Amino acid sequence: MLTRGSLIYMGQRVVLILFTTLAVSSLVFLGVHSLPGNAFISEHRINPQAIAEIMHHYNLDLPLWDQYRLFMSNLILHGNLGESVINRGVQITPLLLREATVSAEVGGVALLFTVGVGVLLGVIAAIKQNTWIDYVATTTSVIGFSMPNFVIASMLLVFFGVWLYNWTGGAFYYDIGWNGTYGTLGQLPVPAFALGFPYASIVARLTRASMLETIKQDYVRTARAKGLPSRIVITRHALRNALIPVVTILGPLVTGIITGSVVIENIFGIPGLGKEFVTSILNRDYNIVIGVFTFYAGLVGLANLVVDMLYTVIDPRIRY
Amino acid sequence: MALAPGVANPQEYVGDTVAREQTSLWADAWRRLRRNRLALVATVFIGFVLLVAIISVFWTPYPIYRESVAPTDQAGRDILSRLAVGAQISLEVGVGTQILVVAFGILVGLTAGYYRGILDGVISTVINIFYGIPSLLVALLMVLLLGRGLDKIIIAIAATSWMDMARLVRGQGLALREREFVEAARAGGAKASRIIFRHILPNALGPIIVQATFGVPAAILFEAFLSFLGLGVQPPAPSWGSMAADGFQALRLAPHIVLAPALALSLTLMAFNFLGDGLRDALDPRQKR
Repeated sequence: MLTRGSLIYMGQRVVLILFTTLAVSSLVFLGVHSLPGNAFISEHRINPQAIAEIMHHYNLDLPLWDQYRLFMSNLILHGNLGESVINRGVQITPLLLREATVSAEVGGVALLFTVGVGVLLGVIAAIKQNTWIDYVATTTSVIGFSMPNFVIASMLLVFFGVWLYNWTGGAFYYDIGWNGTYGTLGQLPVPAFALGFPYASIVARLTRASMLETIKQDYVRTARAKGLPSRIVITRHALRNALIPVVTILGPLVTGIITGSVVIENIFGIPGLGKEFVTSILNRDYNIVIGVFTFYAGLVGLANLVVDMLYTVIDPRIRY
Repeated sequence: MALAPGVANPQEYVGDTVAREQTSLWADAWRRLRRNRLALVATVFIGFVLLVAIISVFWTPYPIYRESVAPTDQAGRDILSRLAVGAQISLEVGVGTQILVVAFGILVGLTAGYYRGILDGVISTVINIFYGIPSLLVALLMVLLLGRGLDKIIIAIAATSWMDMARLVRGQGLALREREFVEAARAGGAKASRIIFRHILPNALGPIIVQATFGVPAAILFEAFLSFLGLGVQPPAPSWGSMAADGFQALRLAPHIVLAPALALSLTLMAFNFLGDGLRDALDPRQKR
C-alpha cells in the first residue's frame, strides 16, 4: 500500500497544501488590511499616544508590505499567527489549535454517524427495494437532503430540548447549552446528528443506487448459489464493491461537514473553530479572521489528502 | 390527439409500425413534466411562493417592522408578513444568482469547450482551484470585503457556485462541436460566433436549465446560511435565515418563531429540488414516455 511512489505523491500533496494555505492567508491578510479603518476605530480613545502605542504593538504603524513580511515570517518560521486584536495578550495559534480539537470531536462523531447511518439506510433500502421500508428510507433521505442543517438543528432542539422536557416533566431531555470545552457525552449526539444528517441522506442515496447495481452482478449470484447466508453475501461480497462509488464523495463530504460545523457550532454554542470564525468576523478581530481562514484552508486540504489515501485502502486497484 | 383507448387512429399508422406524433423537444418535455405529479405539485408550490413574494412587494397583512396582533416574533413583529417578504428575498437571491451563474457559465464554458487548447487549460485550472476552496470561506471573505447588501450577497454566492455550470457547459460544448450538424454549419461557412450561439447553445439548453433549477435552491440555502450566521442581509430585513436565527433566542417559550421560517425554507428548497428532478427526466430526449 505505502509504496515509494505513493510516499512521493503524498509529499507533493503536502507541499501543495502548504502553498495553498499560505496563498489563502496572504489573500485574506491583504484583503483585510485593505479595508478602510482598523479594529480600534470604534474605541473612543482620547489619548492619541495610547492609540499610537497600540498601533505600534500590532505593527499597524508599519507600511503594509513590512506588515505582510513580518506576518509571513512569523507564520512560516514559528507557526505564529499573532495576537487577538480584541482580547489583548491572547495568542491566536494555541487558541485555534484548542478550538480545532473541539471541532474535530464534533465533526468526527458526525462523520461516523453520516457514513454509518447513510450506508445502513442505503443497504436496507436496496435489499428491500420497492417495499414500504425502501419508501420510508428513500423519503427520509430526500427530506434530509432538502433540509438545511440549521433547520434540522432547530427541530431537534425543539423536540428534545423543549417538548421532551415538558412531556417527561424535566426527567429526560436534551440540555441546551454546552458544558466546558468538550461538552458531555450526552450532549454530543444531537449536534452531530444535525451536522451529519444531510450528508447521511446523500450517502444513503448513493449506497442504495450502487447496491442495487451490485446485487445484480454474477459474482453475487454465485455467492448465493454456493449457499452462503444472505448476511455474508451482502456484507462481504456486495457491500465492499458497492462502497467504492460512495467513497468518492467522502472528500466533498468532509469539506461539507467542516463548513457545516460553522453553523452547528454557533447554534449549540460549541466553542470550536466555526464559532470563533463567526465571532471574529462580527467582532472585526481581523487577526483571528486571518488565522481562522489559514486554519480552514490547511484543514480542508489535509482532510482531502486523508480521504484520498483512504481510497487505496478500500479499493486496492487505486494507486498513486 | 384525444381518442378513446383501444381505438387506433388510422393517421398514426405508417406501414406496420406506429409512428410517433411529431412534437418538438419542448412540447415533449412539457408533456412529460405534466405527468410527473411530484414535479407538478412542486411547480404549483413555487408559483404560490412567487405570488406571495410579488404581492408582498405591494401589500403585507401587517407592516413588517411594527407590532401586530397575529402570531408575532419576540420583537412583536408579524411572522406571516415577514415570511412573505422573506420569500421575496429568497427568490431574488436564488434567481439573481442563477442569472449571473448562467451568463458567466455559458460564456466561460462555451469558450473553453469550443476553442479547447490553452484557453480550455486555463479555464479548467481556474475551475479546479475554485473547487478546492470551500465555498463558505470564499463567500464569507467576499461579504467581509464587499459589504452586506443583497446585491453583494448575490455576487458572493454566484462567485462560489459558477463552476458547476461552467463545467457542464464546457462538457456540452466539447461533445456538441464534434456533431454532424456543427460540421455542416462549419462547412456552410458559418462564423464561430454563429456556430456557438445558434447551433451549440440551443442544443445544450436542456442540461443548462436543469442545472440552473438545482442552483436556485442551493443559492437560497446559502443566503439563509449567511443570514443565519448574521453575515447575510442586514438585520431588520426579514430573510428566512435571520428570522430563524432571531427565533433561537426564544426557543423554549415560542418554538414557532424558529419553525415557521424553517418550514418555509425547507418546503421551498424541496419544491425546487423536485422540479429539478422532474425537469431532468422531462428534458432527457432518450426517455420516450
